[in-house]
Amino acid sequence: MSTLPHSKKRVCYYYDSDIGNYYYGQGHPMKPHRIRMTHNLLLNYGLYRKMEIYRPHKATADEMTKFHSDDYIRFLRSIRPDNMSEYNKQMQRFNVGEDCPVFDGLYEFCQLSAGGSVAAAVKLNKQASEICINWGGGLHHAKKSEASGFCYVNDIVLGILELLKYHQRVLYIDIDVHHGDGVEEAFYTTDRVMTVSFHKYGEYFPGTGDLRDIGAGKGKYYAVNIPLRDGMDDESYESIFVPIISKVMETFQPSAVVLQCGADSLTGDRLGCFNLTVRGHGKCVEFVKKYNLPFLMVGGGGYTIRNVSRCWTYETSVALGSEIANELPYNDYFEYFGPDFKLHISPSNMANQNTPEYLEKIKTRLFENLRMLPHAPGVQVQPIPEDGAVIEDSEAEEKINPDERLPQRDLDKRIQHENEYSDSEDEGEGGRRDNRSFKGSRKRPRLEKGQEGIESDLKKEEDIKSEPKENEKDEKTNVTNEETKKDGGVNP
Amino acid sequence: MVLAERNSENVRNGRRSRGPSPNGQTESSSEEDGVPAEKIRVGRDYQVIVPEFVPVSERRLDQCPDRALLVWSPTTDIPDQKLDEYIILAKEKYGYNGEQALGMLFWHKHNLERAVLDLANFTPFPDEWTVEDKVLFEQAFQFHGKSFHRIRQMLPDKSIASLVKYYYSWKKTRTRTSLMDRQARKLTSGGKEGENGSENGSELGSNTDSESEEKKWTIHRGIRRGKNQAVPGSQGTDAKAPSDSENAPQVQGSCSNCGVACHSVRATPKGHACHSCYLHWRRTGVARPLSSMPGRTNKRKPPRGLVVNHDDLAALAGQPTQANNSLQAIDTEIVSLKRQIQSNKQQVSALKRKTTDGIDDLRPPEVSSRINARWTNDELLLAVQGVRKYGKDFSAIADVIGTKTEAHLRSFFVNYRRRYNLDAVLKEYEAENGPILIDDEKEEKMDVDQSNETAESSQKTKSSVGLGQTAK
Repeated sequence: MSTLPHSKKRVCYYYDSDIGNYYYGQGHPMKPHRIRMTHNLLLNYGLYRKMEIYRPHKATADEMTKFHSDDYIRFLRSIRPDNMSEYNKQMQRFNVGEDCPVFDGLYEFCQLSAGGSVAAAVKLNKQASEICINWGGGLHHAKKSEASGFCYVNDIVLGILELLKYHQRVLYIDIDVHHGDGVEEAFYTTDRVMTVSFHKYGEYFPGTGDLRDIGAGKGKYYAVNIPLRDGMDDESYESIFVPIISKVMETFQPSAVVLQCGADSLTGDRLGCFNLTVRGHGKCVEFVKKYNLPFLMVGGGGYTIRNVSRCWTYETSVALGSEIANELPYNDYFEYFGPDFKLHISPSNMANQNTPEYLEKIKTRLFENLRMLPHAPGVQVQPIPEDGAVIEDSEAEEKINPDERLPQRDLDKRIQHENEYSDSEDEGEGGRRDNRSFKGSRKRPRLEKGQEGIESDLKKEEDIKSEPKENEKDEKTNVTNEETKKDGGVNP
Repeated sequence: MVLAERNSENVRNGRRSRGPSPNGQTESSSEEDGVPAEKIRVGRDYQVIVPEFVPVSERRLDQCPDRALLVWSPTTDIPDQKLDEYIILAKEKYGYNGEQALGMLFWHKHNLERAVLDLANFTPFPDEWTVEDKVLFEQAFQFHGKSFHRIRQMLPDKSIASLVKYYYSWKKTRTRTSLMDRQARKLTSGGKEGENGSENGSELGSNTDSESEEKKWTIHRGIRRGKNQAVPGSQGTDAKAPSDSENAPQVQGSCSNCGVACHSVRATPKGHACHSCYLHWRRTGVARPLSSMPGRTNKRKPPRGLVVNHDDLAALAGQPTQANNSLQAIDTEIVSLKRQIQSNKQQVSALKRKTTDGIDDLRPPEVSSRINARWTNDELLLAVQGVRKYGKDFSAIADVIGTKTEAHLRSFFVNYRRRYNLDAVLKEYEAENGPILIDDEKEEKMDVDQSNETAESSQKTKSSVGLGQTAK
């Protein structure tokens, strides 16, 4: 990986050794054991010793009811496999039973998962760390008063709520194969959290995540959904992830990012239907990391557990900026990784039903939506009644300046990094492509066009931007405290 | 059976794809497919109450507890290698796991010496699973599958958590045996099965962790085993197999009678014998008959590379605690060897990757290797040392110096013979490596040449007497 000076980060890792001992039930695809497998792999790769390791506290009911309803948490706290029969009605109401079974230690499991994400968010708030990781978290389907899709307590929402105390705008990105409906719903009407979810859409759980779902009320345009078809491969994923996230970063200008790293978007997942490799999945982490924002990484789905632990181990190494060998070290669960005992996996030969045309169409649509954001380039920076109302006047003024200043920097940085990113990726087995080989691939004409489209698009924006920027520069050279800090973080 | 499993899988997917909709408004959407879509719900019951943004001036970071316990923080004081050594020590001598070892070090504030001293004072939790527990678990598992509640009824002193934990580590040991089974089968029934074996390999890889398919997998294994009529795995068969003398590897320290490897062999008129055979021979005067003669007709062999040590077998047959100890020792050894293998593999691949970029930049710069007829002081020194080390192997000396050819060295030897007292040097070389015989003829020839050149060289020596004297 690139060895930029700023790629070495202080990484905090949250893990409780009990988490692998919870068991959803016979035949249930969700296995907390994968978190322990990841942990053991990290330990034996020598990544453990490079991070601050925390054992999270158990989240209290009080903390969980910051988002969840009191009834629901009370229910979770009292239900046990041996008293289930007394709770039939509530179980139906809270959707606990089938997908989300009652298992031994259910409440503790939720406490540990949520405790990790909350503690991680606190750590980031204190600026005591640049990247925090909680592979036990990422349970993005859980709703305010309802379990869903193997998720009971939404640790992500709780984490973001913590971040929102000290961060004006928080970006949530979800690369699980399922739509991050719980998080999206929780923040559907606020403009302080933008949720971006890349997911399989169409006859697929949970059924939400249409391209046209864009948020409501003040939160209109602050929910971004990228519906995808079966068979997404590394190349296609990058071709949609990079431009969308770049644009989101420019327009939304978050001061903290949460990435849900659901590993069920990997190839060969028991429930998923994408065709990503560990490298392709990890590229998303790498890309987001380059923005040098306070960064919370959480787990999520992932049902072929050997690949889940491969993926999250690799992504931990990406976060740390330290390269790890493709040969797995011997570990407690070594036999799970046969027959090749390698870190990286190859994609299958499944057909990619996402044509470049389809992806291009989605991208265009989403770009149009993003232009509607108040701070989008090309839109005049004037107080827009509905959206601006949340922010006090003084703050709005402060914001204008940085909003105009930063994108350029981000853009430059991004362009610079992209090269390094691809160069360093070239080694090893196939599957990683830089832009050049990307252009030379089979789908040449289409993709090239798409690629150029993005680049010229970006250039145009750069041009558009540079004009108002110069005008403003003289008028408002004062940058708020917060922003200077951010600047400090941005510069290596 | 397989199909049935698949179907149930589909059902699960199907249920998931429909999604839970107790509260969901099933509005028929305007989607192209006409599939009723779930909608994100809006209202007090669904959204979060967004907390106020705390301005920088009002933040009280000190009142923000970490809400997590720090158990390790990285240090730059200890080099990686030392840390590895420490962990291995803690693991192999004191039975810590990597995490516990680092925890101990962190507790001592990264003071390696104090941590090492303290290692002995704590015993990490011993494995609370006795052999009886393990056997019980296996039986219970056979009955109840992964219903840990039911298993717990047979093992009431274990928590569900402990059962789950044990299950996951036990699962792989089962896989390990099956690997051995497969290898054994491969060896017995050549090429055709070999293909089958690799197929199994991938199947094994893809299924080990998907639990609902595991039953299918077990059934598959059962069927295959049945076909091959080979049910190895029990220690008895493993022990018998290697006594098949033609097949057992004849390693050093193996018995010539029964072919079993052992630590100590005794010399007998009939060759080296292991302890048992030796005793038998002493008592009866004849070679110990091999009890496993029927084994000869048995085509089963241990996996390639498996050597069963006779002494260990004897120990195993002896006291159970001793057997346990030696098994445990072997297990630790296997694990540490495996660890070694993987780390070697990692090193090899790292080195390979390093060299893929080409090794040109690692080569010494070309400039220095330019051949030059002029002798620098360093080169002269090197040449004299070269003669001391290589005698009159001039090409070797030339290789070492790098900037001189063999011919240069020859003339050096002639020219500076007296000045650096090279004959004495040569004698030293001969004293160590024996006289130089092959070169004798050449030497005479060169002596002739020398007479022509001595005149010149003597002049040179005069001009640099000082140097010559110091050399003498």
